[in-house]
Amino acid sequence: MKLSCIIVEDIQIAADFLRKFCEKSDLVEVKGHFLNVADALDFLDQEKVDMLFLDVEMPGANGFELLDRLTYSPMIILTTSKTEYAFNAFQYHVDDYLKKPFTFKRFQEAIQKLQQKVAVPQTPANTTPTPAPTPAATTDTDFLFIKAEDKLIKLKKDDILFLESMRDYVKFVTPAKNYITYSTLKNMEEKLIDPNFLKVHRSYIVNINKIDDIRGNTIYLLGNQIPIGKGHKDEVAARLNIL
Amino acid sequence: MQNIRTGFVFDESLNAAFLAELFEGDTIYAETVFEDFLRDIPVYWERVETAYNNKNLPVLGTSVHTCKTLFGYVGFTDLQELCQQFENKCSVNTVEELRLDYLLLIQRKERAQHIIEKEYYRLRQFNGSNG
Repeated sequence: MKLSCIIVEDIQIAADFLRKFCEKSDLVEVKGHFLNVADALDFLDQEKVDMLFLDVEMPGANGFELLDRLTYSPMIILTTSKTEYAFNAFQYHVDDYLKKPFTFKRFQEAIQKLQQKVAVPQTPANTTPTPAPTPAATTDTDFLFIKAEDKLIKLKKDDILFLESMRDYVKFVTPAKNYITYSTLKNMEEKLIDPNFLKVHRSYIVNINKIDDIRGNTIYLLGNQIPIGKGHKDEVAARLNIL
Repeated sequence: MQNIRTGFVFDESLNAAFLAELFEGDTIYAETVFEDFLRDIPVYWERVETAYNNKNLPVLGTSVHTCKTLFGYVGFTDLQELCQQFENKCSVNTVEELRLDYLLLIQRKERAQHIIEKEYYRLRQFNGSNG
């Protein structure tokens, strides 16, 4: 199933290459090309897409400012010719980073990685949060095993504060120790069928029993601060019974 | 990129290995990209000149950044690197301190533009005779 996308890029040659690569791969449908952040945001207010090819340096606002103003969480591939933005890309939890000019082979690798992250790509990006699985669907165990530190580690679910996505890895945070396992958050979300765990951001799943308090758009758990993603606010409010 | 043609050899000052991977033998598309480069570089370079003359270092940096990308797409990966160095210097040096680097950049840009003009016409000829 094709991923829908827009291209946000002010250099025509770069945008043309992207469009050509998308057509050649037959995995991505380009819904539009925008030369600046303002026009892209106007489009995204009307139509949501699965992913963005996003340049950083553009006239007016830059790509990170677009990410700040997004009201939902599409997948992001950052395209730039500056390697210094790689750190910002990680902070913004972008899905991949393509340094211009990039070849079709590199483009294909990035798209295939996104395809693996999309479990059921039937429709364009979800506009409503995925409802939590019902208790009847849960695996009734109070622990799970993760592969970390060259062994299978048994974790009590009740010990887990939250999970954090780190690109191709997931960090399990417990009061005693953190564990990093080679997996995607999406994969963990599918395996961790438990009503006590709630995805609150594209990069975080929290144990709702461990929440101390919520201030604004931030969840506090034992000194850790977890952002609530814009696309997850409604579900968080519903699940936590926020009045 | 369906138009696969063998036999076209790019000028030695270009990164031929990179262009081979980028265009995958599609000299028709290469011709289009080179044409677009020749159309766009004067526009973007004018911004570089204006920013330098106005001593506007932030705009100078971002304008060179844009040209850097264009040079990359036509195989001038070494000029791309030179632009990156200049761009980095824009955030730490004064315009006066950048003068020699700027003059070198102009020289390299002129040479690059001349080479791409030549390559563009060679590509047109090659594609025309192989079409």
